[in-house]
Formats: sequence, structure tokens, C-alpha cells
Amino acid sequence: MATVSQTSKFSKIAWPVAAWVVALIFFFPIFWLVFTSFKTDADAVKPEFLFKFTPTLENYTNMTQNYDYWKFATNSVITSTFATLFALIVGVPAAYAMAFDPSRHTKDILMWMLSTKMLPAAAVLYPMTFLTKNMLGIFDTHFLVILVLCLINLPIVIWMLFTYFKEIPKEIIEAGKMDGVSTWGEIKDILIPLAWGGIASTALLTFIFCWNEAYWTVRLTTIDAATLSKLIEGNRAPEGLFFGRLSAVSTAAVAPIIILGWFCQKQLVQGLTFGAVK
Amino acid sequence: MSKRTLPRILQTPSVLLLLVWMLVPLSMTLYFSFIRYVLNSSIRPEWTTPALSNWRGLGNYKYVLDAKDFWFAIQNSVLIVSSILVITVVLGLGIAVLINRNFPGRGIVRVLLISPFFVMPAVNAVLWINMILDPVLGLQGLAVGGINNIIDGLRDFPVLGWFFNLWPVLEPISFRATQTSAYAVIMMVAWQWTPFAVLIFMTSLQSEDESQKEAATLDGASPWSQFINLTVPHLARPIAIVVMIQSIFHLSLYAEIEIVSRGNGNKNLPYLIGEFTSNNIGAASATGIFAVILANIIAIFLLRMVGKTLMD
Repeated sequence: MATVSQTSKFSKIAWPVAAWVVALIFFFPIFWLVFTSFKTDADAVKPEFLFKFTPTLENYTNMTQNYDYWKFATNSVITSTFATLFALIVGVPAAYAMAFDPSRHTKDILMWMLSTKMLPAAAVLYPMTFLTKNMLGIFDTHFLVILVLCLINLPIVIWMLFTYFKEIPKEIIEAGKMDGVSTWGEIKDILIPLAWGGIASTALLTFIFCWNEAYWTVRLTTIDAATLSKLIEGNRAPEGLFFGRLSAVSTAAVAPIIILGWFCQKQLVQGLTFGAVK
Repeated sequence: MSKRTLPRILQTPSVLLLLVWMLVPLSMTLYFSFIRYVLNSSIRPEWTTPALSNWRGLGNYKYVLDAKDFWFAIQNSVLIVSSILVITVVLGLGIAVLINRNFPGRGIVRVLLISPFFVMPAVNAVLWINMILDPVLGLQGLAVGGINNIIDGLRDFPVLGWFFNLWPVLEPISFRATQTSAYAVIMMVAWQWTPFAVLIFMTSLQSEDESQKEAATLDGASPWSQFINLTVPHLARPIAIVVMIQSIFHLSLYAEIEIVSRGNGNKNLPYLIGEFTSNNIGAASATGIFAVILANIIAIFLLRMVGKTLMD
């Protein structure tokens, strides 16, 4: 018995310590990014100032001059918000119909929607450029970025909403039908209040995906509708001259999303595995 | 209005949008892959506009298959994707088991662990290749320099000095060059996606049958054999899903490769398509079709798995 209690005492301390160490190692690069953002560009590359330095906010106050940060950030906010909004407007009715009025094709439609998500974007790079630049003239507009972000996330939106809606008892919706409530009324007065949590986390997750999207937002824009992904990719600072200011603008680009992400870790599993892992 | 009409109307916008989004660009790619189509050509200006008269049949496919870069890109994609998969699944399993118990600060540990997943790819690449991996100014360069300094100081040490004299002077690795740039990409993407694997394995561990484990403990099964015989089979499905979802995402890596080396010594199919697109649209399109086929092979397995749980 003595050995048992010894090992359990040991493991009582060892496991949490190991878990904390692993967590801190994984978080370290993010910490280092934020940490470096408070150093001047000159200090950031000097070993003697690795941990001891005079913190400065100048990288943040100069962010607008150095990078025109707010313009790109505004574009990110606008495109991500509207893309999320439109995806929900189109997705909620579709998911509602699929969850409460399934036909024998519903499963196939859902699977097909998912399969569109799996097409490699690069395969249609030139056609998309050609269509938007030469034919439609919408290259580098907010409209285009919103449309594309909405479309690439629509399958995930419908899937997530579908899995949430399925958990609502059908009888509640049926009861509404009996009382002669219109479909729009059903969605507005019964479904949305009941599935509010699910809709909110779908929106949050979609917003995160839109914000972090790094293929189309870079390839289909030049200046006017360029988002933060494009800003960072264009300022990769190959020779490490601007570690301080680059860290600051990078921190400003990821901080809001990391914080949002903390609130929807649970939904992330459902959203990314399409409900296949519970 | 019949009973079936309304649900159809509600689904129509989504279906139509996705149908157009999928079919229009893809059929253009398919069409371009069969014709001679370049953006600039002074010798054959007729090739600069897409037309059926420039039909090339399977010529573009043959051209791509004969290109050294294509096979290099395939090889490199396999190297990158499989390395990331092995690292994330092994680390993910270990960490998920490690934190799947009660201990002080578990909530904070979870929050810290999941954070890398939300970092945008461009920032991930910029952060790793500059601030961490740079051979001179990054943490790698500083660490290597520091170790060299310490060893240098020890060389004059009496008695033990000869031992330190045997030590070579360490050279920092430049991750922007040739093959090493692929390792940099593997490192940064594995860092970002291990949290994803952890999160999924943890969700799944929480639904593990505890009574089974208790029975196994009573029967005298060691923790290791419990892990191998009970936990791993329970996790088979989530592991398969983590592998497939990651494959699909990582086959289309782009920003990381662009930022780390601009494709020098490290290309995958999307990157090769990007390079072809600067002039040879026919070849870019044929490569695109290959990429679609590759992604579909994986997607079919994934869709089957997801489909099974769909309607229950």
C-alpha cells in the first residue's frame, strides 16, 4: 500500500506540473510575439536586451504610420462581419428546412455541400482572377471578399446550425405549425430564441475563420479590400530589421481573434469535425 | 403549395450559391487544362486568349507530369503533410491524456494550449521564421550563440578543458534555405494544429467509458495496457478524422510557404499552381485538376466517416 500512496502522491504533483509546462511551451511563441512588440526595433535584436529592456508603446502608436494598420483592420472587420452575417441569413433557413423537414435527399445535399469545402482553392486560382478581374470587374472590392468568405464558410455554417437545430424537439416546431404560425414566424419566434446559443457560436467561429483566411483574401485583393492577412504577408521583414514593429502589428492582428477563440473552444470541435466527434 | 415546396425554397439559395461557386470556376479550370493558354507570348499571340482552336488535348497534363517541379511538389507535399500528421497526432494524444484529469488551473492550461490554433497563418509564419528561427537575430541564433559562448569559456577549464575542446562550434540552421524551409513549415504548422488534435481527442476522451477502465484496473491491467487496449481503440475514429481534416487543410498550405522561402526549395501543389499562373495557365489548370483529384481521394474517406453519424 505504501508504494501506491507514494506513486499517487508523486503523480498528484507530476501530472499537473507536466501539463503546465506543456501549456507554457505551446503558449510561449505567442507570449514572445507580444513581449517583442514592446521593444524598440533596435532593442529587439540585441541579446543583452533579451529579457531586460525598457518597454515602449511606440510600436503601437506608430502602427498607423508604419503599416496603415487601421485601414487593413477595418477591411478585416467589414468583410468578416458581413460574410458571417450573409452566411447566417442564407444558412439559417436552409438548416431549418433540413433539420425539421428532411427529405430523402437531405443527407446527400449536406454531404455535397461539405465536399465543396474540400476543393483545393488553388485549383481555381486563375479562373477566379479571370472572372473577377476581366469579366465582372469586382476584383479587389469588399463585395468580392465578402462573397468569397461567405461561400467558403457556408457549408460549415449550415452543418453547425443543422447539428444544433436537430437537438431541438420537433414537437415544439410542430406545435407552432398547429397554431397557424407562418414559417417566418416559426424561425423568428420559436427557432431563433431556442437555438440562440448555437447560432451565436456558429457566428463566432465563422467570424474567426473569415478573419484568418489567407488564400483568397490575399490573391483577390491588391489595396482597396486587402485584409490583415495581406498586410502581414506583405511585410514579412526578411532580414529581421523591424522585429519590434512587426510584432506589434502582428499582435494587433491576432489578439482579438485569440480572445474570441477562447470563448468558443467547445464549438470548434463541432464546427471542424462536422459533428462527427462528440 | 405542396408540403415539400417550402423546405425546397428555403434551401434553394444555399444550394444555388454553392453550385455556382463550385461549378463555374472548376469547369473553367477543366477547359483551360485542355487548351494552350499563356498570358504573354510574342511568338504565338493567338495563345494568349482562351479559345477552342488552341486545343491541346492532354498535352498540358503530359507537360506537367514531365516537369521536375511537379514531382518535387508532390514529394514535398507528402513530406510536409505526413510529418505534420505524425507530430500532431502523437503530441495531441499525449497532451490530451495529460490534461484529461482534474488539477489546479486546468481551465487556464486549456486556454493557453488552444491559443496557437487561432493565430492567423501569416502571423504564424512571420513569427516563427523571424523572431524564433532566424539564424542570427531570432531566438535560435541567440541560443546557439549563447551555447557557443559558454563552451568557449569552458575550454580553458583545467582537467575538463580537453573534453570541451572536442565540442564543435555550433552553427545555427538557416530555415530559409532549400530543404530546411520545409522543416520550418512543418514546425510552425504542427505548433498551430497540435492544439486542434488535443481538443478533439479530449472531447472524445470525456465520452470514454469509465466503468470499463475501472474494471480493467481491478483486473490488474497496467495504465499503459489500458491506454493501448481501451483508450486508443476508443480514439480510432477521432484520430482518423483528425488525420483527414488536417490532410485537406495542409495539402493547400500556401501562406506559410510563401512567407518562409517564397517557394525556394519548398513547393507544394498550390504553390506550383501559383507559379504556373504567372504565365502558363494551361499547365496551372492541369496541375489544379491533379490537386482536385488528390484532395478528392481523401475527401471520399472523410465524407464516409462523417456521413455515418449524420442521421442518427
